[in-house]
Amino acid sequence: MLKVVAACGNGMGSSQIIKMKIEKVFKKLNITASIDHMSVGEAKTAAANYDVVFCSISLINQFVVKNNRTKVIGLVNLLSEQEIEAKIVENDIK
Amino acid sequence: MDFYAAFEVGFKWFHNNIMTKPEFFIGGLVFIGYMLLRKPIYESFAGFLKASVGMMIWGVGAGGLVNTFRPILAGLNDRFHLNAAVIDPYFGLAAAQKAIEVAGVSLGWTMMALIVGFFWNILLVLLRRFTKIRTVFLTGHVMIQQATTASWLIFFAIPQLQNTNGVICIGLLIGTYWAVFSNLTVEPAQKLTGNADFAVGHQQMGWVWLTSKIAPKVGDPEKSVENINLPRWLQMFNDNVVATGTLMLVFFGIIMLILGEPYMRGIDKAGFPATLSFPIYILSKSFSFAVYLFILLSGVRMFVAELTESFRGITDKLLHGSLPAVDCAVTYGFASPNTVLFGFVCGALGQFTAIAGLLVFNSPIMIITGFVPVFFDNATVAVFANKFGGRRAAAILPFCTGIFQVVGGALAAWYFELYKYGGWHGNIDWDTIWPIFGVLFKNLAIPGVVVVIVLMLVIPQLQYWRSKDKEQYFSCQYSDEPK
Repeated sequence: MLKVVAACGNGMGSSQIIKMKIEKVFKKLNITASIDHMSVGEAKTAAANYDVVFCSISLINQFVVKNNRTKVIGLVNLLSEQEIEAKIVENDIK
Repeated sequence: MDFYAAFEVGFKWFHNNIMTKPEFFIGGLVFIGYMLLRKPIYESFAGFLKASVGMMIWGVGAGGLVNTFRPILAGLNDRFHLNAAVIDPYFGLAAAQKAIEVAGVSLGWTMMALIVGFFWNILLVLLRRFTKIRTVFLTGHVMIQQATTASWLIFFAIPQLQNTNGVICIGLLIGTYWAVFSNLTVEPAQKLTGNADFAVGHQQMGWVWLTSKIAPKVGDPEKSVENINLPRWLQMFNDNVVATGTLMLVFFGIIMLILGEPYMRGIDKAGFPATLSFPIYILSKSFSFAVYLFILLSGVRMFVAELTESFRGITDKLLHGSLPAVDCAVTYGFASPNTVLFGFVCGALGQFTAIAGLLVFNSPIMIITGFVPVFFDNATVAVFANKFGGRRAAAILPFCTGIFQVVGGALAAWYFELYKYGGWHGNIDWDTIWPIFGVLFKNLAIPGVVVVIVLMLVIPQLQYWRSKDKEQYFSCQYSDEPK
């Protein structure tokens, strides 16, 4: 199963929104995943244990992951299911 | 036993067991919400459990914050006749919660008011032909903070409302604020995002609107913050753990240094044994604020996740064609990353200037910068200021916001007596708009509440009346082109 984390500044509002949106898109694409949400500060240390990190594009340079497992995906519009879907396909996440 | 007596016994049991234990009240609501959304019973039970446990964790964090703070507050008061408050919604939450409990009211009432406010907001949108409201406020953690502070304002200002009538009063009040002020952000948010179809539902909605009006007069949108290079080390403040820890260390470190080693040894015998050195004591004491803050945060996160999910389910079913009002950080993807940091830096400079001012003018209240307002309010103001007025506006407006946060926060913490517990809500709408509301409640009592609700409801009418294209008002599609 895919391990996914959604991150935002304080880990309260936006990451919860991302989580709910990616849950919807994963369901549509028939991908099973467990999704957590947390703050950037926490997610930075935990990132290596996840397959995918979703966050706002403005936070993407906070993540420096040195393995070939974790993919970091920056979103412009956290509410856009089209954008999330396009980026999942583009990054070949299954 | 006749029916009435049975009802009374049942009500008493409910009041003594559920209302005084808000965690089970909220857990029960989540359970009912999930059942109504036709989730399986085991998922509904999991929701009940996580909401209840989350709220109990929150209680541990809030208690820890207040207790860690108490000796320091007492010390400041004793040595310098000074009171202190951290302006941050989580410190404010802990302080308001404590004040509400001390007044003998249960937090269960506050949660009930939150639910009343949520459904009142939905009703206002359902009646949008008449109310002109287009947005539903969905930011769960902010709703908790605001409902709690609003409850305290009412309970403090109008003690006879510490009952069910008060709950309805607070619900209508906060629900009107959520609906009306998020509705004000529709136009600026849609222009910023190129019609991404959301509004801002957070702590600085009034200022987002104000910024969109003032910024064009302050600067030129063509000259954007994008081209400014900020030093790399500032990036570390994007990390909330680092930013919070640093702020706590600087502020509480200075306070403890001023109070002095002998004094701290005297008041904190248990925590400061003779073998421990002063610098290490300062480090550990300052960081324990961060620790309790993160405990509180993780508790709120756990139960808000459940709450938001059921709120979403309800609104998705009920309200087609309205806009969700969401966390301010959702707008950050539509600005360059350095706009966010730029706003934070300018706002922090404003706050520090104002804090120095408080000290110079011998204010009886000292303000301690908290992470959430200084970062998120000022970043949001900068994002909108940059969009409508370029880098000049993005520098000046957050700086001014920072000053208002400190001065307004100090006045509010003093007037509403939350300095006793060392915290004030501290986000900009709650340093300016809500303290004014609170003063009206205090002086006019219940008529004051009515006046505030009616005045707020007039705002969308004016917006609609002034909009040139009435169809566009409801379709919410705004082009980005300058007129």
